[in-house]
Amino acid sequence: MAYPMVLDKPLGEYKSMYLARARDESIWRHRIGSGGAVTALLLYMLEEGIVDAVVTARKTRGVTGEIVVARSREELLEAAGTRWSVLPFTMRLKEALSDESIRRVAMVGLPCQAQFLWQMKLFPVLETDFSGKIHFIVSLFCIGTFATEAFLSSLQRLYGIEPSRVTGINIVGDTLIIRYDGGEKRILLSEAIPYMQLGCLVCPDYTGVFSDLSAGISEQYPGYTVLITRSDRAEEYLEEARDKGYVELLKAPVHIVEEIEIKARAKMIRAQKYMSIVL
Amino acid sequence: MEDKPDILIYDLGGCEGCPLSILRVYPDLRGIANIHTHHLGEIDLDRRYDIAVVTGPICINDPDSIDVLRRIRRNTDTLIAYGSCASVGGITLFCRGGQEPRPEHRTFQPLSSIVDVDYAIPGCPPAPNLFLALVNSLRSGRGYFLELFAAVARARRLSGFDLLDTIVLTGLCISCGACIISCPTNALQMIDRKPDLIVEKCIRCGTCCIRCPRFTQILVQRYRAGKEVV
Repeated sequence: MAYPMVLDKPLGEYKSMYLARARDESIWRHRIGSGGAVTALLLYMLEEGIVDAVVTARKTRGVTGEIVVARSREELLEAAGTRWSVLPFTMRLKEALSDESIRRVAMVGLPCQAQFLWQMKLFPVLETDFSGKIHFIVSLFCIGTFATEAFLSSLQRLYGIEPSRVTGINIVGDTLIIRYDGGEKRILLSEAIPYMQLGCLVCPDYTGVFSDLSAGISEQYPGYTVLITRSDRAEEYLEEARDKGYVELLKAPVHIVEEIEIKARAKMIRAQKYMSIVL
Repeated sequence: MEDKPDILIYDLGGCEGCPLSILRVYPDLRGIANIHTHHLGEIDLDRRYDIAVVTGPICINDPDSIDVLRRIRRNTDTLIAYGSCASVGGITLFCRGGQEPRPEHRTFQPLSSIVDVDYAIPGCPPAPNLFLALVNSLRSGRGYFLELFAAVARARRLSGFDLLDTIVLTGLCISCGACIISCPTNALQMIDRKPDLIVEKCIRCGTCCIRCPRFTQILVQRYRAGKEVV
């Protein structure tokens, strides 16, 4: 497990990049953008008994959510979907994972979370860590997360959309699409940047280089998930999931690699700019 | 580094949690390194070692310990401060002197306050497997986390207090929960989506700081730039 992981290259060290989609249409039908490949892969791992549980996030109400430990197909499908904000890993999760019937877990997080999980797995600083149980780490592409309350309050102030009416927020290209009960509001991403968390503005990691698998979307291929494999384990499971009919898998064409690399580089440059203020 | 490095494991004192943790990996360790420790017989502090792993803090009122530490430093290529006390001071920073069994010991500091340390590994105590991971990383000589441990060796202190000062109060916290889930004493809790510290519970082990994605980034960047890290 001694692959070098670095934060110096835009995409980190990786093996391959794919475009993928869940074979089961019900997984991706209601999505905007993604092909549900991560859900399908995790489902394969859960159903084949490779892992006993998947730690991921579930939407609770509006744009708020919570971390869940999914142990069945139903629980996992309920949690599927693009994540809007960073959800803190808490003591409750630690307690849930101390359950002895959970021997191996797959964990889904943002690049920041993948980083400390990877460190936990590689260099277990404490025996109370659940490092022995972390089997597979999936990181979702991330441009940064918003200070939720501040952002929602600005929506109300500027556009009269009360926080309670917001049902979902998605990013497509340079546009934020805010869905609420009365319709849809599109605003430019640049307009929302001041509401992004400072800690995200200094973060250089777009894809999550400390992971087994990074996943996100490409604007050029809506309906597909972009997957970046970083470990032998990721390659192996992905191929098995394809062979057993869980996912469709295509090698990502060069222009997709370029698109993701450009976005990753942009985040590194932004991080450098903000970090120079902090340091 | 040659195939099987000679590793000196030396304990300067303390609660013995770190030596016990290392003791548990001796069987596996012997496959990848030649181990020299009091547990396996006499040790010679005047010969050359590839790696020295020192546990426990240094008492700066104790000339004997300081002398031993300086000799170890002179005779080793890579010196590793292992565990929270050796690397960042840990709970022994709270020592005020006059306590049994050694009332003359008044001030404990991380090893880096006396000698140059190459890598400092916090953890109270670090889990046994960490030692193996560390030796393997040193042999391959690469990786972001190794660089992080080199940066920690420049830090005079890392604790929940520093996490609050450096990350939370400066607005750099992203609420990922790394610190909460890492704290061995549950001294950190999420209040309004940000960590807050129960000060009496913090043992200054530094685990929260080296797990925080932002703190590690700052440590590594300052280290690379040759600046004071904390």
